[in-house]
Amino acid sequence: MKVLSKSKLETALNKLNQSAEVFLPMQKDKESGFYSWKLFNQGQDELMLNALNVYLPPKNVVLPQTERMYSIKQEGQEIKIDKTFEDSSPRVIFGARPCDLKAILCMDDVFLTRGYEDSFYKCRREAITIVANACFQPGPACFCAAMEINPLEPAGADVIICDAGEAYSWEAKTPKGEALTAQITEYLEEKSLSLPAAKPFVQDVKYEGVAEKLKGMFNNHIWERLGESCHNCGICTYVCPSCYCFDIQVKMWGDEGYRFRCWDSCMYEEYSREAGGGNPRGSGIERFRNRFLHKLEFFKERYGTPLCTGCGRCIVACPAGINIVKIIDEIKEAELDA
Amino acid sequence: MKDISNKIREIAQTLFKEKKIDVFLGWEKGALDFQTVPFIARSEADARKLVFDEYSIHNLATLLLKFRDGSEKIGIAAKGCDSRSIVRLLEDKQFARERLHIIGVGCPGMKDPLQAIGMYSGLKKQQGDGNALAAKCYECVQPNPVIYDDLVGSQQPSRLTGERFARVNAMEQMNADERYRFFEDTLSKCIRCYACRQVCPACNCRTCIFDEMKPQWVGRENSPEDNMMYHLVKASHMAGRCVECGECERVCPVNIPLMLLNQKLIKDVNTFFGPYEAGMNYVEGAKPPLSSYSEKDPDDFI
Amino acid sequence: MHKCECEQPLVPVIVEVMDIKDETPDIKSFFVKNPGGNGLPFNVAPGQCAMVSYLPVGESMISCTWQEEQEYLQFAIKRVGLMTDELHQIEVGQKIGLRGPYGNGFPVEACKGKDMLFIAGGIGLAPLRSFIKYCFKHREDYGKIKIIYGSRSYADLCFKDELFELWPQQKDTEVFVTIDNAEEAWKGHVGFVPSYLEELNPSSAGTIAVTCGPPIMINFVLKALEKMGYNDEQVITTLEMRMKCGIGKCGRCNIGSEYICLDGPVFYLAQLRDLPQEY
Ligand code: SF4
Ligand code: SF4
Ligand code: SF4
Ligand code: SF4
Ligand code: SF4
Ligand code: FES
Repeated sequence: MKVLSKSKLETALNKLNQSAEVFLPMQKDKESGFYSWKLFNQGQDELMLNALNVYLPPKNVVLPQTERMYSIKQEGQEIKIDKTFEDSSPRVIFGARPCDLKAILCMDDVFLTRGYEDSFYKCRREAITIVANACFQPGPACFCAAMEINPLEPAGADVIICDAGEAYSWEAKTPKGEALTAQITEYLEEKSLSLPAAKPFVQDVKYEGVAEKLKGMFNNHIWERLGESCHNCGICTYVCPSCYCFDIQVKMWGDEGYRFRCWDSCMYEEYSREAGGGNPRGSGIERFRNRFLHKLEFFKERYGTPLCTGCGRCIVACPAGINIVKIIDEIKEAELDA
Repeated sequence: MKDISNKIREIAQTLFKEKKIDVFLGWEKGALDFQTVPFIARSEADARKLVFDEYSIHNLATLLLKFRDGSEKIGIAAKGCDSRSIVRLLEDKQFARERLHIIGVGCPGMKDPLQAIGMYSGLKKQQGDGNALAAKCYECVQPNPVIYDDLVGSQQPSRLTGERFARVNAMEQMNADERYRFFEDTLSKCIRCYACRQVCPACNCRTCIFDEMKPQWVGRENSPEDNMMYHLVKASHMAGRCVECGECERVCPVNIPLMLLNQKLIKDVNTFFGPYEAGMNYVEGAKPPLSSYSEKDPDDFI
Repeated sequence: MHKCECEQPLVPVIVEVMDIKDETPDIKSFFVKNPGGNGLPFNVAPGQCAMVSYLPVGESMISCTWQEEQEYLQFAIKRVGLMTDELHQIEVGQKIGLRGPYGNGFPVEACKGKDMLFIAGGIGLAPLRSFIKYCFKHREDYGKIKIIYGSRSYADLCFKDELFELWPQQKDTEVFVTIDNAEEAWKGHVGFVPSYLEELNPSSAGTIAVTCGPPIMINFVLKALEKMGYNDEQVITTLEMRMKCGIGKCGRCNIGSEYICLDGPVFYLAQLRDLPQEY
């Protein structure tokens, strides 16, 4: 098999960096997330490929938190849109864990199927190559295997690497992956490598049947109790690798400006507030319920797979200690209202 | 702390039994050892689940707001900082004092479950030995409740050692350029989730300025300008109102030093309009300095 | 700058407002076509919507109340928020943004051969009007037509010339108008739409009922229709939600797993029964 020795990793990254912006898991000061290799400060920052995962997912690379869409120019009654800002410069996400990769595939479903292709997403996404980092040692908050993911052989990766101590095994899976491989072929060796044995999951999560059961639970009393301590703060949606909701807004300076989109969250009251002031999800509990139903039921009904990928981030980040695994358990145990 | 836990449970159960309260805001154990999570008990049976332990850090005062339009009688457990938050809400007339039954807890200092789970899950870097108190608790000037109907736990000394406004002083030493760069750097990390607002007991506006769309006061872009605007506006709304509970900084998913801004304003309000400490004692009708107006004020407003 | 070759569903085309008509004190009709007056940017089927934008301010999803051949698209727009407030200030000749067409539209084919019952309240007549006018245009394809429409007051009734002049003259067509509260000059019916509907009690045999209006009205109308023997396959309604993208991406207009912008706004009651009651 092809092997990338860890001692050659940085040179390989430098090479890739010449033709694409490479995003990797890093610890920067107190934050960890996917940052550009260009911003890596030797000596200060820490590469986190060996860590289980980082706090902020690579969502930002495929769906930037703020993205300009088009320019607007106004002159009297005339209005012009003279630029649109699709960005198809090449990018590499290096070392995405299978849960985060799956989240991107979910976003592909949203942005590229069902009648419309979102040009902003499409241009960006087509120029992204994903090197997935297989998981042999799931962490205490992980439950991806329960969410229809194979952590060892994740679907949708362009390249899969596996950490075997001194080196990574390197396997190209797609033509994009082959092209990436070709760029660093001088740093890859051909040799055999024994991969670590997969460790069992710490959390035992049983998602089967949950989507189906939820269909009858929209009005169940359980939501009140599950969600009453939720602040509707939206952290869970912002740190989630697969929450993709966005808002479209405009910024003008006098007669010129642009329209942009930015992340949004169904946890916010403003998100579903209608122009006239009404709101179908006016209460915090209704918004809480929408989040979990979207993750566990609605997305599955529409796209055939859950929108939660089991990364565990929301469990770690929620100030109120709300835990999606516990919610799944409670749903399984809940009695259906008569 | 077992003792405190038992007492809270006992009192809450009695309150339910005697029909003195309809709900009790406390903590229960979550899925993991270090998860002690906010809990709304609605019956004597529920009250049996109440706990108080080293992870009962969550300020429950914001939960009170969920009940502000109702008429329920509410029991609530409150540490020092939580109790100041309650005073804050009372001053803002969010509740009638009679609706609350407050069990004050002399707070021995809390650990931060968010740090603990962050390290446990591997998503956060190990900080210290894991036995340390939450950062905010080392700066606490008021561990004892300032308003209560029952008091449990023992009187606690202030844990603040050293200069209270050390961080602020250091910031004040920067020149304007340095300071600008510092804030630009720091605040550009903010992901604008607004969690710092949602958990804040001093944020009790029914429609927050940041959610107001007609007109939209603060842009929603994740850009240094809009981010700074957000923090500038938020911080100034906190002037004279922040009770230093530290929840905003604790829950922030990207470690924005929100308390630095808050403390700067605490210091300034105290210097220019004080002496004043927000939420330190409840006097009916009292208002924070920036919420009152007098003909004798030295400067025109605006 | 990168030049994108893709279709750009989120980028509006520019159209020109060629006429503006006051319908009520807070509803105006805007007639738009390509700048310079050559045709339309796209065709809009009855019941479909488009994102109308006064670009410096915002976008709103508006049901197209009528497409006149390649002459114009007409949008009847009520002042409810920031964007619509601004639109009400503009003058003829203004360029605005438009993207679409969005949504499924009315099942005009499936309704052929049926008697049609249209029930609308307030601005809710705007979407139905595209279907009503379509029926008149293809009059031989549809049976009897009954239109029940109500608003708060006489002044708040939209499309008055059609309501009182043009439509009643159409073959086999009856128009019933009501206002919520009595007014001195008003000789017609007074009362809410659902109770007027029950009073009129139109037969359900071979009829399709289509209703649109404020949620509370729709609720009572649906109940009344059920009482009158309409089954779930005979009742069509349109739903409204906050919208931003219009193409099923931004997330906010979902009811259960359906997106109103894409899978709606038109639903048979039978379909709604399967969805959470969140509208
Ligand atoms: S992070 Fe927790 S408290 Fe915040 S919105 Fe999500 S579930 Fe609610
Ligand atoms: S819902 Fe939570 S566990 Fe699931 S993918 Fe999102 S952040 Fe991860
Ligand atoms: S959970 Fe909420 S924020 Fe996340 S994708 Fe679904 S609707 Fe959007
Ligand atoms: S600003 Fe922060 S420290 Fe001050 S009261 Fe609000 S949450 Fe507590
Ligand atoms: S400071 Fe932190 S908690 Fe507040 S909005 Fe920014 S990221 Fe969210
Ligand atoms: S308006 Fe964006 S999904 Fe419907």
